[in-house]
Amino acid sequence: MSTTPVIEVERLNLKYGDFHAVKDLSFEVRPGELYALLGTNGAGKTSTLETVEGHRVATSGTIRVFGRDPRDREAVRPRMGIMLQESGFSPDLTVRETVGLIGTLTRRTDSADRVIDVVDLTRKATTLVGQLSGGEKRRLDFATAIYGTPELIFLDEPTTGLDIQSRDHLWTAVDRMRENGTTVVLTTHYLEEAQQRADRVGLMHQGVFHHEGTVAELTRTLPAVIKFALETPAPAPPLPAVVEPDGSLRVETFELQKDLRLLLTWAEDHALDLRDLSAGPTRLDDVFRAIES
Amino acid sequence: MLAIARTELAQIFRNRLVLVTSFVIPVAVSAFFLYRRDVFTEVASGGYIAAIVMFTVGAFGLYTSIVTTLAARRQNLFLKRLRSTAQSDAGILAGLVAPVTVLALVQLAGILIVFGLVAGRPDNPLLAVLAVLATVAMMLGLALATAGVTNSPEHAQVTTLPVSLGVIGVASWIGITGTEQLELVKRLLPGGAATELMLNAWNGGVALSDSLFLLAPTFAWVALAVLFASRMFRWEPRR
Repeated sequence: MSTTPVIEVERLNLKYGDFHAVKDLSFEVRPGELYALLGTNGAGKTSTLETVEGHRVATSGTIRVFGRDPRDREAVRPRMGIMLQESGFSPDLTVRETVGLIGTLTRRTDSADRVIDVVDLTRKATTLVGQLSGGEKRRLDFATAIYGTPELIFLDEPTTGLDIQSRDHLWTAVDRMRENGTTVVLTTHYLEEAQQRADRVGLMHQGVFHHEGTVAELTRTLPAVIKFALETPAPAPPLPAVVEPDGSLRVETFELQKDLRLLLTWAEDHALDLRDLSAGPTRLDDVFRAIES
Repeated sequence: MLAIARTELAQIFRNRLVLVTSFVIPVAVSAFFLYRRDVFTEVASGGYIAAIVMFTVGAFGLYTSIVTTLAARRQNLFLKRLRSTAQSDAGILAGLVAPVTVLALVQLAGILIVFGLVAGRPDNPLLAVLAVLATVAMMLGLALATAGVTNSPEHAQVTTLPVSLGVIGVASWIGITGTEQLELVKRLLPGGAATELMLNAWNGGVALSDSLFLLAPTFAWVALAVLFASRMFRWEPRR
C-alpha cells in the first residue's frame, strides 16, 4: 500500500467576516487509516471537513486530496464518498432512484440494490425519501457514500439518530471497507466510537488542534482516576487523595494498575472495605471535559 | 447531466403544485387567449396573442418553475448533495433546468401551432421560432438571477412576481400600443424587443434586418441576468 498521504492539509485558515473559524491547521491522513476529527461545539471541525471535501474555499492554506485540489471534482470525487451531516435528499425521489442518481454522478460502478441491501433498506427501495424516518435517511446517506466502494469516505456524524442495531450494521460495513484499504475520515459526538475505532484523532478547540495523535497518546495526557469511599475512622490511604463533596476519595494517577494494586493491598492489610470502588483508564470524554473546562 | 434531468422530470410529475404552476396555469391562460382570439385581435393583432402566450408560458411555465425548483433544491440541501459528486456546477444546473425548459418549449410549440392553424399561420415562422428561443434564453437567465435572491419556494412566490408580471405587462403594452411612441424605452424593457420580434414575425410588414436587430436587447438582458446570477447564485442556504 502507498504511504503517500491521502489527505494533506497545510496551514489551513478559514474566516467568516471577522470570525477566524480555523487557524493555521495542518494535518495529514494516511492510506487505510481511520482519522477522527473531533472537537468541542464551534471548534471548526465541520468547516475543516467541508473544506477538505471541496465544499468550501479556504481563506488561505493548501489542501490536497489524492494529490489534487479537492475542488477538482472530476478528478477527486470518483475516488471519495461523502456522508453529509444533513441529508440533502429530494423528498420526491425513491430510495433506489436517489442511490442510483448520486451513484451515477460519482462516476463509480456499482449496483444501487447492492448498497441499499448493505444498509438494510431493501424493503424501502421504492419508498419516497420524504416518507423515511430520520434514521433511515442517515442509512440512505451512508449508502450513497459507499456506492462503488470508494478509496476514501467522509463520515460526518454517521450514527446520529441511528438505533444500536443500525449503528452496529454501519460500523460492520465500515470495517469491511477498511479491510479492503478504504481510508475513513470521521467526525462524531459519540466519543466511544472514535475511541474504539480511530487510528488517530485530531482534537479541535477554537479553530486549532488541542491535541493530535493516537487515542493512547491523547488519553495519556490526563491521569486516570480511582474513586472509592471508606468507613470512618480509617487510616490515611497510601496515595494522595482528594475528598469529593460526597465524602468519597479521588486518586489521580498516570500508573493506574500499579497504584490500584497498591491501594487494594493496603485495604486488605487494614481489613478495609473500599466502597463504591471505580477505576478506569482515561477516556476521550475526560480529555474533552478537560478542554472545555 | 442526463441523470439529473431524468430524476428532475420524475419529480415534476410527482409534485402537484409544480405541475399546476408549470402546466395547468400557462395552458389555461393560453387557451383563454386562443378561445377569445377575435376580441384580442380586434384590440391588437394575432402577433399580440402569440407574444402574450409566449410570455405567459415563459413567466409561469419556465421562469417561476425554475426559481421555485432551484430554491427548493437549495433549501433541502439537494444542490449541496449534487455538488458532493463528480458533476460540474454547469452540469448540475443544466440537468435541473433542462426538463422544465424542454417542457416549456413543447408547450409553446403546441400552443402556437394550434393558434397558427385556427387563426392563420405567422408571416415568418422562422422568425417566430427565433423570438421564442430568445425569450426562453432571457427567462432562463432571469430565473438563475432571481434564484440567487430567493431563499425558499415560499419566498419564490414573492420574488418572481416583478419579472413575471413585468414581462407580461410589457408584452401587453407593446402588443396593444405598438412601438411608434417611446420606441427606445419599449425595446430596452425586459421582453420588449422579444415582443416586437414576435409581432413582426406573426403580423409581417417589417424588413428582416430590422427584426433581427431586436435580438440584441434580448441577449443583452440574458448577459446581464447571467452576470448577476454568477455573482448572486448560492448553492447552500444562508446560515
